[in-house]
Amino acid sequence: PILTDLIIEIFSRLPAKSVARFRTLSKQWGSILRSPDFADLFLSRSSSRPRLLFAVERGGEWLFFSSPQPKNPYDESVTVDYHTKFSGDESSYPCNYSSGLIYFPAMWLSRDFEASPVICNPITGMYERLPNPVRYYRERGFLGFDSIEKKFKSGVICCPAYYRSLYEGICIDGALYYLAMSAEWSFVIIRFDLRSEEFKHIDAGCFNGHSNRLVLINYKGKLGGVNWKYGQAGCGRRTVELSMWVLEKQGWLKHAYTLPENEELGSCEFSVAGMTARGEIVLCMKYTCNSFYVFYFNPERNTLQSVEIQGFGANLEAPENCGTVHAFVDHFEDLSVNDAVQLKSSVSLVKHTCRCCDTVLHPNYHFEKRNEKETQ
Amino acid sequence: MSKSEKKIVLKSLDNEAFEVEKAVALQSQTIWVMCEDKCVGNEIPLENVTGQILAKVIDYCKKHAVVDGDGDESSEELKNWDTEFTKNMDQSTLFNMILAANYLNIKSLLNLTCQAVADKTKTIDEFHTFLNIENNFTPEEEAQICQENLWAFDD
Repeated sequence: PILTDLIIEIFSRLPAKSVARFRTLSKQWGSILRSPDFADLFLSRSSSRPRLLFAVERGGEWLFFSSPQPKNPYDESVTVDYHTKFSGDESSYPCNYSSGLIYFPAMWLSRDFEASPVICNPITGMYERLPNPVRYYRERGFLGFDSIEKKFKSGVICCPAYYRSLYEGICIDGALYYLAMSAEWSFVIIRFDLRSEEFKHIDAGCFNGHSNRLVLINYKGKLGGVNWKYGQAGCGRRTVELSMWVLEKQGWLKHAYTLPENEELGSCEFSVAGMTARGEIVLCMKYTCNSFYVFYFNPERNTLQSVEIQGFGANLEAPENCGTVHAFVDHFEDLSVNDAVQLKSSVSLVKHTCRCCDTVLHPNYHFEKRNEKETQ
Repeated sequence: MSKSEKKIVLKSLDNEAFEVEKAVALQSQTIWVMCEDKCVGNEIPLENVTGQILAKVIDYCKKHAVVDGDGDESSEELKNWDTEFTKNMDQSTLFNMILAANYLNIKSLLNLTCQAVADKTKTIDEFHTFLNIENNFTPEEEAQICQENLWAFDD
């Protein structure tokens, strides 16, 4: 008979969905697979096999899929696993991703009168509406993961030193970075520390004039920005020219790359999904279709690996039915998030200093408290 | 280490003998310890592993003895080799490989084979069969667990 320890080793490498199903194996296994020790082991295994998460939107419905990120340059095609779906209409703010959860800054759930932030677990389909809508153009709703306290944090932040907050943002190592614009129409990065709740401004004038497709990335733990444009390869063919800025101690350092020519990449609409922990910039087609590709560009080796993604299903692959794809790199499953009875219990709401109205507020009571103050 | 000590013989449960380079065999922590303790001669009896499985383990160790420590290129080639190595193994061979990797204490092989089983085994019935686990839940208890993990049972 195979030893219990070895079976645990096998189970720790299964998808989270199988683990949840296998809790019905027997009483003993039911309790092992629910233990915190197993959750820790599972997390360490799943984080060593990062995946690419796809959120596909079509007509107010979101479908979530994931695929393995290629481990070696011979991988040419992978099949996605379907996870779950979720209904809700998103407003003009795009969704973002933080350590396993997806955050919609403003979403209309069918029963709601106004758009509110919603967090969603793409693996279980569990979702929760948060009480702190973004009401001013200087504000920014966020979901971040505090890697030291190991806690998700969400709220609305607002910083007076810039003119308006832009959509693009990323959470790296317990700090939220997002793009904003100063009153002089120059780009700045606002860094918000999720633990100390302090703001820091980083000049990002280097992005001026390069903002149309700018995406913030995690460059091996440093903040980076990526933008691209088409170049000419001759004979009517086009190449992709990619610019990357990395925030080093001495300031922004710019790198420029011309991607190796690739027929699929040259002829499709794509967006930058991010950079993997292994240092590949991931480009992903924007719309589902029957030959859907993801491209992994390794800047150090100047290699471009195109991987065909299969398994979105005939419906999404039909041209008249295609969905819009949002892809997120380095996704991994966490049992403790999946098992939370309420998603809210995994997320703490951040109180913040809102300098617009010069008061310390709990995000829930943003409006109410201000009104009280005015009447006093 | 003198020249005569460069090779050792591994003997399986069913008395099959394999002569291998010491560098190949020493990837097994278990064999390493046996050699360190000098409690064995040049022939090491492995009482938990059949010849059929041991031959595969030795293939793996040979490949990894040659390539380990080299640059990036070869580590990619090695990953590819590993994938091919487990690709066509059936479930029972894989389980025996896991047991052998565990007994011989070869971490990377244990990782590889456990992952291969996890990737191949999809249904709960397969695990009931292979692991010989008896379901001792009452139908009510089982329904309760399904209810708690509803998202995992919805298809």
